[in-house]
Amino acid sequence: MRAVISTRQVRSEFVARVQDLSGQDLLGCYQCGKCSAGCPMTEEMDIIPSQVIRLSQLGQEEDVLNCKTIWLCATCYQCGTRCPKGIDFSKIAEALRYLGMGKEKEVCGPNHIPTEIIAEAPQQALVSTFRKQGL
Amino acid sequence: MKVSYYPGCTLKDKTTNLDDSTKAAAEALDIDMVELPEWTCCGATHPLTEEKIINLVPQIRILSNVRTEGNDSVTTTCAFCYNTLKRANKAVIDDPIKRQRMNAFLKDDKRIPEYDKETVYDFKEYNGETKVVHFLEILRDTIGFETLSNRVTKKLEGLKVAPYYGCQLLRPPEEVDLDDPENPSILEDFLRSLGCEVVNFPFKSECCGSYLSLSAPDAATRASHTILRSALKNGAEAVTLSCPLCYYNMDKRQDNILKLYADFSTVPVFFFTQLLALALGVDESVMGWNKHHIDPTPLLKEKGFLS
Repeated sequence: MRAVISTRQVRSEFVARVQDLSGQDLLGCYQCGKCSAGCPMTEEMDIIPSQVIRLSQLGQEEDVLNCKTIWLCATCYQCGTRCPKGIDFSKIAEALRYLGMGKEKEVCGPNHIPTEIIAEAPQQALVSTFRKQGL
Repeated sequence: MKVSYYPGCTLKDKTTNLDDSTKAAAEALDIDMVELPEWTCCGATHPLTEEKIINLVPQIRILSNVRTEGNDSVTTTCAFCYNTLKRANKAVIDDPIKRQRMNAFLKDDKRIPEYDKETVYDFKEYNGETKVVHFLEILRDTIGFETLSNRVTKKLEGLKVAPYYGCQLLRPPEEVDLDDPENPSILEDFLRSLGCEVVNFPFKSECCGSYLSLSAPDAATRASHTILRSALKNGAEAVTLSCPLCYYNMDKRQDNILKLYADFSTVPVFFFTQLLALALGVDESVMGWNKHHIDPTPLLKEKGFLS
């Protein structure tokens, strides 16, 4: 992946905003990769969790707000449990979903779930999914 | 012991077998467990950004109502409810600003006067007093697995069960604190006390895909298959769990698994409370076997636990 890294991006408000929203020390990550190693959903992801963190540290807003990864987090907290720096990636993914929401993106809203699944799915799954969409 | 019971939304609709078997087992064990007269959804997922303070209100309202009922602890069997209630409570205990804001919301809570003219709503500040305990914790810490083992009337001997924890029961460990997040043992000890043979397998705390089964169903099918295949390879005849969503992914999703993985053979999935009620000799009508997608009755008949 080709990326332009500038001091303007690295020091942008975006980095501070992600840290504020998630309450996580984004810049504390030293890329050991334990989060990606333990994540059960990497197979479906376009970039892995540790890459999302690295790109966020570098202010690559466009890349992280448009990746599939932040929508494939099942909030199982395996990443945060194993992180040696105590960073919870599920909170960073939530902050990134939140920041991208102004773009009118609906990934897991009611219109994206097949009706036969809605009929049989447990209520808790519906509530969780819609919360992920910020509903 | 006296404890409030919070069933949660899914138990009143899709998994009434979990609700019924929990109540029947509690009765058989003389646990004074009373369902909260009024409760709402717990929110299902803990709010993950600092700004979503409003998403803590339902949990705190539920916990505050437990105190109104005169109890100091609340129990639940759903792993999601347990996770959100316990984490919200910890947030209120640890963070004075959240505590203050939650109380500001609770203070504004009023009964709707048209329906309830008599009740005077007495506001009492909530500071995290209610204890959230999973039903498994009552079995382990209050009753004790040894006592439980003595109270079992029908030992489930020879039934090889794989214990499946999933994510919400164990993580994040510093907030949930039920058991060791990497190598838990509470379900194993529980199964042994019923007389079951415990099947150890490496995926017991791996995520089943959770609510991705709605937005990315194929990912949930793959994740559930990984877990079930590993349990079967290690000799499991059945899987047991406590979360209604894991149950959906593991039980109902076996149809999708069969379509993608031809060599897969189906395996029945039990709620831990069903095995408990069965071992305590509770009336079978509470089990709701007909609610299962993969019928567990042939296995139970073969083992001689059902006639």
